[in-house]
This record gives sequence, C-alpha cells and structure tokens, in this order.
Amino acid sequence: MSRARGPSGLELVLRPARVEASLWRRLRLEAQFECRTELFDRYAAFARGIAGSRYRRRASKRVDRSDFEQFAFEGLLEAIDRFDPLTGVPFTAYARRRIVGAIADGVGRMTEVDAQMTQRGRLERERARSLTASQLASLQPADPLAALSDLAIGLALGLMLEGTGLMAPASGADPRPTPYEGAAWREMQARLVREVDRLPDRERLIIRQHYDTGLSFTHIAQMLGLSRSRVSQIHRSAIDRLRARSGALK
Amino acid sequence: MLCPDSQMEALTQALQDGSGSDIQAVDRLIADYPEDPRLHFLRGSILAGIGRSIEALAALRQAVELAPEFAIARFQLGFFQLTSGEAAAALSTWGPLALLPDDHYLRHFVAGLTRLIRDEFEEAERHLREGIAANSENPPLNRDMELILSQVNQISAAESPTPENGDASATSFLLDQFSGRSGR
Repeated sequence: MSRARGPSGLELVLRPARVEASLWRRLRLEAQFECRTELFDRYAAFARGIAGSRYRRRASKRVDRSDFEQFAFEGLLEAIDRFDPLTGVPFTAYARRRIVGAIADGVGRMTEVDAQMTQRGRLERERARSLTASQLASLQPADPLAALSDLAIGLALGLMLEGTGLMAPASGADPRPTPYEGAAWREMQARLVREVDRLPDRERLIIRQHYDTGLSFTHIAQMLGLSRSRVSQIHRSAIDRLRARSGALK
Repeated sequence: MLCPDSQMEALTQALQDGSGSDIQAVDRLIADYPEDPRLHFLRGSILAGIGRSIEALAALRQAVELAPEFAIARFQLGFFQLTSGEAAAALSTWGPLALLPDDHYLRHFVAGLTRLIRDEFEEAERHLREGIAANSENPPLNRDMELILSQVNQISAAESPTPENGDASATSFLLDQFSGRSGR
C-alpha cells in the first residue's frame, strides 16, 4: 500500500492531548529544554492572534503591530516557563491572561522614542550589530571595502530570508510578490530556504525564529536558555554559512 | 505483598460499574500494596482515561518497573508513548517483548506498529492482521488494532482526518484488558 501524500504512519496514531502532555512533562520533569521551542511554536499563532485583537483596539497610534506581537511573545514565553501542567487548567486559559498583561505592560512602558523605532527596526538593528561584530573580527585594514561588502551581503541575506515564509506567514503580512521580486530573486530565495534547512539544528532554529516568527535575540535566548550574545553569535555563524554556500550572491 | 485477588476483583468490578471515585479507590489499595504492579497499571489506565497524561505515564512506568515481565503493561506503556509522539521511547519500552514467542500476538502488534511508524504500510497491515488473528485472550486490544488498520485503509483510499480516539474510550479499553488479566 503506497500513498503519495497524507498523514505519516506516526501521525495516524498520535493523540494530540498526549503529545502536548509529553512536551510539558519532558520540559518540566526531564529538563529537555528543546520542548520549550516546540511549545512556543504550537502557541505562537495563538499569541499573535491576541496581539492582533489588542492592536485593533489600541488607544495609541504610535505603537506598531510588530511591537504588540513582540510583547505577546514575551508573555507567551513567560507563561510557558511558569505554567504547571498538573493543575488541569488548559494552557491557553492560563497563557491568555499573561499575554494580555504583557502587551499592556509593554505598551505602557514604551516611551515616545521607543515607539518611533518599531520592532522591525529594532530587529534589523540587532541583526546588523550581530553581523558587524563578525566583520570587525575579520577586518583586514588593507581591505575595508571587502569587509563592508561582506556586511552588505549578510544584511541582504536577512532581507531575502524575511520574505521566504519559512513557517506560517505573519498575520497582516502581504503575501503578494512585490515588483522587486523578479524570477531571479524568487529563485535565490528558494535556494536560501533549502540552505536554511541544511543548517545545523541550532542555527536553523535561530534563523527561523528570528526571521520568520520575528522573535528578538533576547527572546530567543530566553527560549533556548542561552545568553543573548551567544544567540547573536550563532546568528552570525548561520549567516556566514549561508553566505558561503550561496556562491551566486558573491 | 500483592493485593489479594478478591479485593482486586471487587475494585475492577466497581470501576466497570462506574461506581465510586475511581482514583481514590485505587490509591487506597496502592497505599496498602505499593508494590503490586497491577494496581499501578490500573491507576495509569484510569488517569489516561481522564486526560491526566503526565501522571498516567508515570503510573504505567511504575507498573513495568515493578514487573518487567508484565507484558500487557509493557505493551500499553509503549503504546502510550507512541501515541504521545515518543516513538523512540516506545521502541525501547517494547524491546524486551522480543523475548515472547514468535507467534505471540504482542510480537505481531509491536512489529506492525514499528512498520507503521516507518510508513511501511503493507508490512504494518500484515503484522497487525496476524496479531489480531493470534490474539484470542485479549479482544479489546484487537479492537484498537482494528481501528488503526481501518485508518490505514481509509487514508490509502482517500483523505481522512487524524483519528479522534477519545481518552474516555481508551479508559474502558484498558480496564477491559485489565479485568481480563491477560498478558501476565
């Protein structure tokens, strides 16, 4: 019996409630921290949905939608870390309050200056810093232009990754191709997605969470139990690897 | 010291009648006979049925730790792990079942499920069918395997949603097996 598509054999026997209980058990009782990422992925859309609904009802026009989402993710991560799966309370009921609270707190503490730079801007700056550190480390005084060129390529790779929709598209994002997305661009993006799939596990995870989910390095660090600088370093290493493998860009 | 059969039978009868508060009744007996693997297996079955999966797994594990040769408990622990998405753990749990005779129905079921998670559907179906044919002592287990077989057949014929095996049915299923006292 062969099937072209459809559920796998394992999927046939899975019981969703047990799968989720297994994730909580392994995270809480067996210190398998990778389960935190799986739980985050399961509930990222839930958090994004709450962020969307709060954004539509926002009082201030100064705060960007991406900021609402980032605060929601912050609340989700906190909820994952504090939830007790043995109480019998559904996680969504527990997490909703925390996510709503995190959004309210986050928006409340944003200063006007903060609001002028959206979350997207902050992510881009964070990314550029990560790559700049790489270029500074390898900077040859004789060849500053080459170093600058490398940095530009690293940033360009990030720009391409943002449009690939590696995971679920962010709500509110316009999925239609832009005039800039010619055939060559799309082909390059497709190659890039394939290369991301070939990255070492941790690099792939960070690339996906940063460019696709839009998580900041700080939140990724929290999720993976790493320092923020370590996440930045792994990001840099992933971009370096992608750049090396994507010879056509150079 | 093991729980006397008379008390065990009274308990399973009460559970099947739906009388009394299940977990408390089992817990009382476990307090008196903490080393009886049957009680832990029963506790795991009840907890699985009410959706307390984390505790259910712990109870099933306890049953197998107390009695590594308790074949049906070992099979059910592995099946619970498999349905929880922990295929590697399930295979590891089932390992000692290889000591059962070649034609034992649990051997066939393990072989069938192992093939299933490798997407070897034809072989999976063959082993599951052979297991069902060989199993005369544990009819409820056959029902569960038949359900899996029908899902395999359904998706091979057309698109089919993921099975919605309610945990409530799993409870009665496990209790049925338990009352049959098979597999020990």
